[in-house]
Amino acid sequence: MLKVRSDEPEYSFLWDKETKAVNQHGNLIDLVNEDSDLHCQSLNINNDPGIGDNPNRYKQHGFFLNADNCIGCHACEAACSEKNDNPAHIAFRSVGFVEGGTYPDYQRINISMACNHCDDPVCLKGCPTRAYTKYAEYGAVLQDPDICFGCGYCTWVCPYNAPQLDPVKGQVTKCNMCVDRLEVGLKPACVSACLGNALDFGVVENIPENRIEAKISIPGFPTPDITQPNIRFQQTRSTQLEMTRTDSMPLKYQKDDSGSTFKPKVDKKHGEKKEWNWAKLLTSHESAHVIFTLSTQAVLGAFLIIVTAGLFTVDSLATLNTAAVKLPLLGIMFVMLTYGLFKLNMHLGKPHRFYRGFNNLRLSPLSREIAGVSGFYTFLMAYGFFSIFDNDIFNFLANASGALGAISGLIGLYYMYKIYRIKARPFWDHWQTGSAFFGNTISFGALLTGLISLPLLSSEHALLTLATPLMALISLGLALELIGHLVHSRAMANLENEGAASWYLQTTRYGKAWITRNVLLGLSFAFALLLLTMNPSGVAAFIGWSLLAILMISAGAISRSLFFVLVIPTTMPGAFFWKNKAFEEHARESGLVDMEQVGVVRELHGKFKLDELLETIRTTSPATLFKNIKDIVVWKKID
Amino acid sequence: MLFGRNSKNAINMVDKKITDWTYSTCGYCSVGCSIEIGKNAEGKIVGSRGVGSADVNRGKLCVKGIFEHELFDSAGRGDKPIIREQIGESYKETSWDNALDTMADKIRDIQQKHGRDSFAIVSTGQLLTEEFYTLGKLTRGVIGTNNYDGNTTLCMASAVSGYKRSFGSDGPPGSYEDFDHTDVLMAWGSNLPEQHPIIYWRMKQAQEKRHFPLIVIDPRVTMLAQNADIHLAVTPGTDVVLQNALIHVILDEGLEDRAYIEANTTGLEQLEREVAKFDPDSASKVCGIDADTIRNVARLYAKADRGMSIWTMGINQSMHGSDGVVGINNINLVTGNIGKPGATSLSITGQCNAMGTREWSSCSGLPGYRALENPQDREDIAKYWNVDPEFFPKKRGLAETDIFPAIELGEIKGLWLVATNPMTSLPNTARIRKTLEKLDFLVVQDSYADVETVQYAHLYLPAATWAEKEGVFTNTERRINIVRKATDAPGESKSDLAIFNELAKRFEQSAKMSFPDKPADVFEEMKPLSKGRLLDMTGMNHDLIEENRGIQWPYTAEEAERGEGPVKGGKRLYTEDGTFSFADGMAKLVPLPFIDNNEVPDEKYPYWLNTGRLVEHFHTRTKTGKIGNNNKYSPIPFMEINPDAARDLGIQHQDYVRCVSRRGDAIVMAMCTQRVPKDMVFIPFHFFDCVNRLTLGLLDPYSRQPAFKQSAVTIEPIADQEAAAKMSRDRRAF
Repeated sequence: MLKVRSDEPEYSFLWDKETKAVNQHGNLIDLVNEDSDLHCQSLNINNDPGIGDNPNRYKQHGFFLNADNCIGCHACEAACSEKNDNPAHIAFRSVGFVEGGTYPDYQRINISMACNHCDDPVCLKGCPTRAYTKYAEYGAVLQDPDICFGCGYCTWVCPYNAPQLDPVKGQVTKCNMCVDRLEVGLKPACVSACLGNALDFGVVENIPENRIEAKISIPGFPTPDITQPNIRFQQTRSTQLEMTRTDSMPLKYQKDDSGSTFKPKVDKKHGEKKEWNWAKLLTSHESAHVIFTLSTQAVLGAFLIIVTAGLFTVDSLATLNTAAVKLPLLGIMFVMLTYGLFKLNMHLGKPHRFYRGFNNLRLSPLSREIAGVSGFYTFLMAYGFFSIFDNDIFNFLANASGALGAISGLIGLYYMYKIYRIKARPFWDHWQTGSAFFGNTISFGALLTGLISLPLLSSEHALLTLATPLMALISLGLALELIGHLVHSRAMANLENEGAASWYLQTTRYGKAWITRNVLLGLSFAFALLLLTMNPSGVAAFIGWSLLAILMISAGAISRSLFFVLVIPTTMPGAFFWKNKAFEEHARESGLVDMEQVGVVRELHGKFKLDELLETIRTTSPATLFKNIKDIVVWKKID
Repeated sequence: MLFGRNSKNAINMVDKKITDWTYSTCGYCSVGCSIEIGKNAEGKIVGSRGVGSADVNRGKLCVKGIFEHELFDSAGRGDKPIIREQIGESYKETSWDNALDTMADKIRDIQQKHGRDSFAIVSTGQLLTEEFYTLGKLTRGVIGTNNYDGNTTLCMASAVSGYKRSFGSDGPPGSYEDFDHTDVLMAWGSNLPEQHPIIYWRMKQAQEKRHFPLIVIDPRVTMLAQNADIHLAVTPGTDVVLQNALIHVILDEGLEDRAYIEANTTGLEQLEREVAKFDPDSASKVCGIDADTIRNVARLYAKADRGMSIWTMGINQSMHGSDGVVGINNINLVTGNIGKPGATSLSITGQCNAMGTREWSSCSGLPGYRALENPQDREDIAKYWNVDPEFFPKKRGLAETDIFPAIELGEIKGLWLVATNPMTSLPNTARIRKTLEKLDFLVVQDSYADVETVQYAHLYLPAATWAEKEGVFTNTERRINIVRKATDAPGESKSDLAIFNELAKRFEQSAKMSFPDKPADVFEEMKPLSKGRLLDMTGMNHDLIEENRGIQWPYTAEEAERGEGPVKGGKRLYTEDGTFSFADGMAKLVPLPFIDNNEVPDEKYPYWLNTGRLVEHFHTRTKTGKIGNNNKYSPIPFMEINPDAARDLGIQHQDYVRCVSRRGDAIVMAMCTQRVPKDMVFIPFHFFDCVNRLTLGLLDPYSRQPAFKQSAVTIEPIADQEAAAKMSRDRRAF
């Protein structure tokens, strides 16, 4: 247990005498029943078996921010980083601000924010490695960097930017609620360090002495509906009608008609000029996702077509069932999928920990996607292997692998879509993500099939027979995608949150690229329809398919890149330098990043540490292995 | 759903395994926080924390203090003396003996050729008091130059001068505890949350217990201004007009404290005659505060039972800095607000030991608030040091800001800079560069070998910093607090005390004098010099100071013998009627005519340039610029500009822009904010080759402090942002 020093000031000690039963989200503040076996267990902090004597140990705790009082002095952030020994580029707590009014009637509201240890921890649910735990003790949501493989998915789903992905270490870390201090009755380090008397901490819904309210939101704070966060605010001073952000996020906040709550609104910070921004678009850090999703979808689409041709008697697809066509096609699909998976895996902070991706099948769509796609990859290989031989047994095995591959591939595709349905990322949180993914699966699957198989066909008849259904599929896929874009555009333009901000960037900063994508996609669809009706053969077919491929691939690459580069997460407002995306980008571009003390690091990819993987294999006992596997499959129900 | 897993894992948290805490006093600003430096079993310094039982900070530290322990292994520290013949040549490492022999020879040589005063010494507010005292003894008693000053001229000189003009002596009469008793607080050009966050917290604590109105006078909407009950966005450099108008209203409406005035002051009539000219309506035209508000504020302050005023650089760094301080004192004297709990004129000081240098460095006189102009003081000190009293000059020499022009004139040929960085800190950098080039011999003594002034030096001496040595600091509320040694300085670096003592040995004169090696012995030598004086500290010693987490002066041997304790806090000066430091015991009410002779915006240079501090940085960033968890909040210089002005100029938020004054230009990143008016920009002063390329820094006639905060500039957009980014980056070696 932590030793409390003899001269520890009174303000450092927790103060909750009485507590409420239910919080404002309607959840119980008592986290476990008194007879639960979770009572009276040690937190094993650094393997210390002691059990804290905090009387409110099993109640949900949370931070309290009096926004009237925060002076933005950074003492909370500093105390946190000092305690957790964080380098400059990592901060479990950050202070940003919104400002409003006209000189001298000017107002700045500083907001200090760390993890809100939510009732509904989306980070925990999203993490594929099961690095997160929500503890019965204090309701703390803690993350274990030793488990994490650095995919950063928790940083996508968290609306508050609480989990911190460290590109240097290739892992996530976050606020640990200073549970070691709570165990001995002390408030977290940040709270004890506060110089504005703004930050406090206690059992959630308890209003500290001298404070009068516990609101669940203030301007700039993302909607509490997403995760039911355990932070409460006081903000009693009258505010300006409009509060703006100094960071690059094109959002501001306006008072609604009731005059009490703020609504986000797009802040057209960069004007209305349409730009290209090719470099930023195509070389973004997320390009690994662009390659992975597109290649997986194309390969899955092609696989579904081939398997359909094999399992069912579809005359027009029959030629696909011949070894001369099928094997080269499967070979190319295998290469494409391998490359996509490789890019994705190497995108992890710790790629050698890839096997941990299945850990959270119970809760994480990402785990399920990884399982689905891995299954698909396995069955694709099996299908290819069995297809080499032509006898009943192998045919059966091939068909079985095909069916299983199709199922697991579709599961993978579904969860690939579910991954992006993130409430904290409104630009993605729309069915258009699905229409694009499924549409692309169909269109690129058919295109891939056609591009490889058609040149291999000997007779013109066979070509014409196969080309028609493939072109129909391409048209269908493109139609799906187009409809999705149309509806999505309208939806985003009508939003007033980060989704609308994404839409603003789409039509300005990436406006020309976006228009190009629209033109290319429209042309692809029109051209596909033309080819479908004309059904050309010979050189015309060759030219037609090639041109279509160029159009579709260009549109697809731009489209998927836009998807990743445009998304704006709901985050807390940043400051001018610190936690300002535009300044971070500027630091990387201008070379300021090379000075460690600037607090910005380059976006790095993790190293595949084979020795670490071998070490894990060597040191993991069969019993541990078995337990780990069991934990993935068997879920103990707790409370 | 609670846990996300079937069984709990052990929790790993950072444990720094600190086994040993060393008591110290923070070495950044003058708030004087008690801090403990944590070492692990291997003796490596890994953490710091505020001392819970210390009255000043009560366990708290600001963002700088929290990471102060990272100073010890920060980049750029010097570890060997380096020397060269000419600037432009590269440096060679040398031995301490050779370095100090050369230095002594050069000093003698220059003094022989050009006179004793042709070698100047500029020190700092960063050293320990024992070091200041020793440097003073070395300078006044051995080297014998009268051109000796500290960089405190850039921050506290106006406060010193104002205190002397009003009360007869330097020495802030109040204490932090006054916040707990005051009924109204007026903050003049002071932004506590950014500059002195711990004092802000003390004020906030007091305000939460018992709300009192806060009036902030500042042209910029700082956090403090925003939190004020009344914010007076005064026109830069016109505080004196506002002060006179306030007194005008107070006297006009009979709100003054007649009994106090009669028992404690002289000069009411002259003051009354002067302020009669400043009726609120006329004053409002100059200071920009409307007449009604002036009256309102005057009534609020005068009617309060206890009124307290604090101020910082907004007052001091002005052509009317000294007058501004006197003006504040005038208000407090006519309202009877000095020497009572919650009623005071409290100058919030700048550097950790600005007070120590004021008290003991002999910069502006002789130790213990003694004056060169006073024959008795010269006699006393000469006797105590065993120096011929005739060796002392009979009048104070040049202030820091006059030393540099004297180099320009060729009157000063050699300069010794101790822990100060005029290349970044003095106004008009271009002029300073030229000035430094003219020197025959420049010694830079600093903890950092990469301090910018080293570019122009002939000799660099590596000094220990902060808790690499031992001694005391005096803080804003006259509290003497101790720095204990936590670790050794890097390489061959020596403490400043050791450097002074070693250098002294190289002059014959020192043989007759005492230069104790141990800081505690120096302290004991100083104590008798304080006996019976305002700053009496005869009741203290190093250990007692640590035990009490700092002791406010005066604390006399008699009090100690009587077993009267040092009090925890709240010690004040001038608590009895008629006990001010002038011979008659009366404070002076000084009339303050207003002459506006500053640079003001005009057609060519249409914007006010205001400068100031950021909470994460200290002074010229030599320390904080290398600590990522400080520096990251402002790694490059920026400029606050009103969005409406920016729009007119075609400047976008986060663009690099060029700021031009009559002195030069600077490249900064634009931050559009309504915090500043349309005709003003604000640039923090911490950055090398930045805002002080623009500032004019005309000098206050009394304090010789530069008017950093009032210059005129124009602003130009930059077309080639990439080149601007490169230029800005290249100027940030750290």
